[in-house]
Amino acid sequence: MKTLLLTIPSVIAIGFFMSAAHAGDLTVTISDIREARGSLMVALVNSDAAWKNEAAPVAAKKIPAAQGEVKLEFKDLAPGSYAVQVMHDENENNQIDTNFLGIPTEGYGFSNNPNVMRKAHYDEARFEVGADAATITIRLR
Amino acid sequence: MQRRSFTQGLLLGAIAAAAKPGFLRAEVLAPTGPERFAAGLAREPWLAGWKSFDAEAFGPTQATIEGSWPGGLTGTLYRNGPARFERGALRYQHWFDGDGLMQAWRFRGGEITHSGRMIATEKFVHEQKVGRFDVRAAGTTIPDALPIRNNDSMNTANTSVVRLGNRVFALWEGGSAYEIDPDSLAARGPTTWRNDLVAAPFSAHPLLERDGSAWNFGSLDFFGTTGLIIWRIGADGALVRTAMLEAQDPGYLHSFAMTDKYLVFTFMPYRMAEDKGSFFERLQFTQDRPCRIALVPKDALDAPRWFEAPFAAIYHFADAYEHRGEVVVRAARHADIEEARAPMAAAMLGERGSPSSNTELVSLRLDLARNRARWETHGVGGFEFPTFDARTPGNQPALLFAPASVHPANAPFFNAISSIDTRANRVSVHHYGADVLAEEHLFVPRPGASKPGDGWLVGTVLDFGRGRSGVTVLDAMRVKDGPLATAWVPYTMPLGFHGWFAAG
Repeated sequence: MKTLLLTIPSVIAIGFFMSAAHAGDLTVTISDIREARGSLMVALVNSDAAWKNEAAPVAAKKIPAAQGEVKLEFKDLAPGSYAVQVMHDENENNQIDTNFLGIPTEGYGFSNNPNVMRKAHYDEARFEVGADAATITIRLR
Repeated sequence: MQRRSFTQGLLLGAIAAAAKPGFLRAEVLAPTGPERFAAGLAREPWLAGWKSFDAEAFGPTQATIEGSWPGGLTGTLYRNGPARFERGALRYQHWFDGDGLMQAWRFRGGEITHSGRMIATEKFVHEQKVGRFDVRAAGTTIPDALPIRNNDSMNTANTSVVRLGNRVFALWEGGSAYEIDPDSLAARGPTTWRNDLVAAPFSAHPLLERDGSAWNFGSLDFFGTTGLIIWRIGADGALVRTAMLEAQDPGYLHSFAMTDKYLVFTFMPYRMAEDKGSFFERLQFTQDRPCRIALVPKDALDAPRWFEAPFAAIYHFADAYEHRGEVVVRAARHADIEEARAPMAAAMLGERGSPSSNTELVSLRLDLARNRARWETHGVGGFEFPTFDARTPGNQPALLFAPASVHPANAPFFNAISSIDTRANRVSVHHYGADVLAEEHLFVPRPGASKPGDGWLVGTVLDFGRGRSGVTVLDAMRVKDGPLATAWVPYTMPLGFHGWFAAG
């Protein structure tokens, strides 16, 4: 039986990978956070391989959850294509919980907020960062 | 009434109603507004059955009793159904989309009260807050719908209600059962039967064993796979176990049937259209392919036997029994698969359209020795929402009870209650009136009686001629005599789908 399991990378193990030249800053607003408990695990990637957890992300952050909305920044990004995925690890077990079918039972979200009932594809979540500051909002579902 | 006249009265009457002007095919894709429905309601007062209920709760209202309510008939008739159909300029196009409204008719101390409360699902609570429909729906495309977490995010808990142990649940078919406070009707939230089963589908049609324990299923087709989860719930309302039934191909099923030994799941073949849209907009039944039927021994859930029979469009299976090497399952088969895909679609738009009653009674006969399946017809049609006395011995057909359509009728919906005895080849009908809509009638055993069929029918009606809703009680053995009593409230409520009677 095929499952719909999300493969959000374990950001704690991966840590930060910062870029230097021709930098731009990205502000990510995460909205619709249902509960204050647990952590938000946010991964910024710039390739399909990294989106699929087959390569390292550009950056990853773990921040405490807060009800409603939080903001975070990724600084000094090189211009190019990026995508962000967020998971709300409500029970702090370092993974997104799923049921027997692989359906997520904790909050998650993707850049561009694609309206799909599965993990978004990289192309659906991809956006451009130029030389200037960029801002996106990801709605947790 | 004999079978021939019944058929003429019901089935032909339904067809005649369908042929009236204003017939509209159920293929309107663009959202349509409340204004069109309101204009339709002004022309066609029977559309009150599909009017949006826009409050959060009502009652209790004291009902006025006509006739003599049986002293032994005490308890609560819970009724569930879609009710919130409109927000802002958007009106759902599919009857199955409305948010669930739980109603309670309470029969106590010679008095009857009526109350109701919208089921506070995640979807309903969110949309109450934002003031618009922005969660995807089963049968309507919602403009700019929000991305959702999982299937329970769109759970409307709007189809049926069951009491398992002392727990009352509002049921949908694509997600969790919502537990409901039996007294206040307040939602206690989606039920997690076991940690790995969060949001697992729990169909709207569980079946009870004689000891109060239950079986149910959940279709996995909603998740891009095939097959079922089978649920076994104890008489105390707690999970006993689950099992998986794998199926090769996509197959839709809304309900199932069971005998003493077997569960019977009938899968209707379909494919999903490639274009975007809601589940029921994309659903295309494939009539050129057979139904596949899984006969699952209750004591060996991992050992199904598979049968094939010609395509049939069925929502509701009734009783099942074993006789002379056959398992026989009875059901209401729909002749019009477009109507089956979107029942009362024209009414949802505010139009008079094809009736829900273009059905006939069929028996699915599974020959266990030859491993063959076939459909048998009975020449009885024009009904839906069949019920029966579950105490009927497992080797014989039960007396069936079902709302039916008879002439004269001023609405393309059921306006009568019938009892169908296929062994005696006899049908009895009580016609409530041309201006009445009749809903499901449940069988309630008479206290102290053990003979199958000895009890009452308790059902709800909407009298659009006089702008009132009511609950009726009939002697199940004397349906044609009409109600022993009816309790009326001076307002109409949207029609529901299924109910549950909790004695006490």
